[in-house]
Amino acid sequence: MTLATLDIRGRVATLALNRPDQRNALSIDLIASLRHRVGELARDAGSPDAPRVLILTGHGKAFCAGMDLRAVLDDPAAPPRLLGALAELTLEIRALPHVVIAQVQGAAIGGGCGLTCVADISLTHDSAKVGFPEVDLGVCPAVVAPWVVRKVGGGKARQILLRGGLLAGAEAAALGLMDRSLPGPNELDSAVRELADRIAAGGRLALRATKELLNRLDGSLDADVVREGARLSAEVVASPEAQASLRARFESS
Amino acid sequence: MIRSTLEGRVGRILLDRPDQRNALTPEMAADLAMAVSHLAQKASCLLLEGEGRVFCAGFDLECCRRTPDNSALRSLLESLHKTLAAMRSSPVPVVIACHGAAIAGGCALLGGADYVIADRAVKLGYPVALLGISPAVSAPTLANRIGGGAARSRLLDPGLIGGHQALQAGLVSALVDSPEDVRPAAARAAERFASQPGGGIRATRDWLGKLEAAGAADRSGLEASLAVTGGEEGRGLLEQFLRSLNRRTAGR
Repeated sequence: MTLATLDIRGRVATLALNRPDQRNALSIDLIASLRHRVGELARDAGSPDAPRVLILTGHGKAFCAGMDLRAVLDDPAAPPRLLGALAELTLEIRALPHVVIAQVQGAAIGGGCGLTCVADISLTHDSAKVGFPEVDLGVCPAVVAPWVVRKVGGGKARQILLRGGLLAGAEAAALGLMDRSLPGPNELDSAVRELADRIAAGGRLALRATKELLNRLDGSLDADVVREGARLSAEVVASPEAQASLRARFESS
Repeated sequence: MIRSTLEGRVGRILLDRPDQRNALTPEMAADLAMAVSHLAQKASCLLLEGEGRVFCAGFDLECCRRTPDNSALRSLLESLHKTLAAMRSSPVPVVIACHGAAIAGGCALLGGADYVIADRAVKLGYPVALLGISPAVSAPTLANRIGGGAARSRLLDPGLIGGHQALQAGLVSALVDSPEDVRPAAARAAERFASQPGGGIRATRDWLGKLEAAGAADRSGLEASLAVTGGEEGRGLLEQFLRSLNRRTAGR
């Protein structure tokens, strides 16, 4: 089974997380598969027929349930690898010349919600559950924090990342964590398609120049800060406090 | 077509080309940049407004088409950058009365303002990539005004938004019910700014400007927009758009 599917139709490409039985939790293999697909998109981006818009979504009921920490708990070398790979994936997605739209159905939690902040535009629905419950588990969302700050600004990022818990899609849209919340998943699907087509009708060079400038203005391509965040996140996961809290959590579920 | 007057302590600048929805010609845009820097030295507050049914429909695209060397579009982009820089570096606050619509270059002006009043049914946005034009010229000021995340989605999505969404994003500061109420409300807001002691407001504005990521004179957005003008893609899309517009108008 392919862990990340890429479907290209004319000017619109769709990259989907494909691990629905695990609510698309980000494992080392899933991230590797996503990076491989993003690499293909980047490699072909120079062609005039290349897609202009990328929809980022997930197969199944949830966009992404977050990092698959259960799988890495017993191997001390694994968390730095998992978080380091996530850091590289976010940098590679942001550097794409495509306008990236996140279609956030069901849930986008922790690292999954971080991925939505890397997209240029994010749409969700009112009953979706999104946010960063990392601090509730004694872990630290440092790896995605730079993207959250760029999305909503420093003041709101503090509120969202330090409060923990989850937000409904509509609340997330009011805070600017999502750009728009639709009444339900069906409306979300049509709104994303409509938006993708509308953007894809624009000039390739104009879209590319605009996105490049936006990336320069907000320091998006500063890899060091994201890698430093991954290192910090991995360090906190390894702490006895976080290990105990994660084990208790996984045993109870 | 740009009228600027000093009325008491308020410097009023009026876009006055109502039959063309105040679409900016290169001459108008150059006059606008001059009017802003000139009046900002004399007034205690600037008030920017438009005559007729809408505040500003953006650049006059017919003008752009008539110059095959793209000199009109380049000059419009240069003047828009100068206007935004003059608004940001002005020693006094800038209020905009945004009624009806502010599209593309018209919407870009809102990024340079301190206070914007609009009506609930206003239409705002940047549908310019569809014409092969990059709205990057307004990115630094827009990102300063509404934050980087919101600016990213606004500039990359060619759709228009209404008053409520603009208020939520911080692009608009206050809403009134009907378009007719916008200019009177903006005039009252300008009077209020003008009546405050000048020293405190000036120092506060200066300091806020220094705290912003992109300075008033930052040319990176202008350079990015200029870099894609004149290409085959841009001219083709513009032609196509104007032809379909003319067909629609002729069919009415």
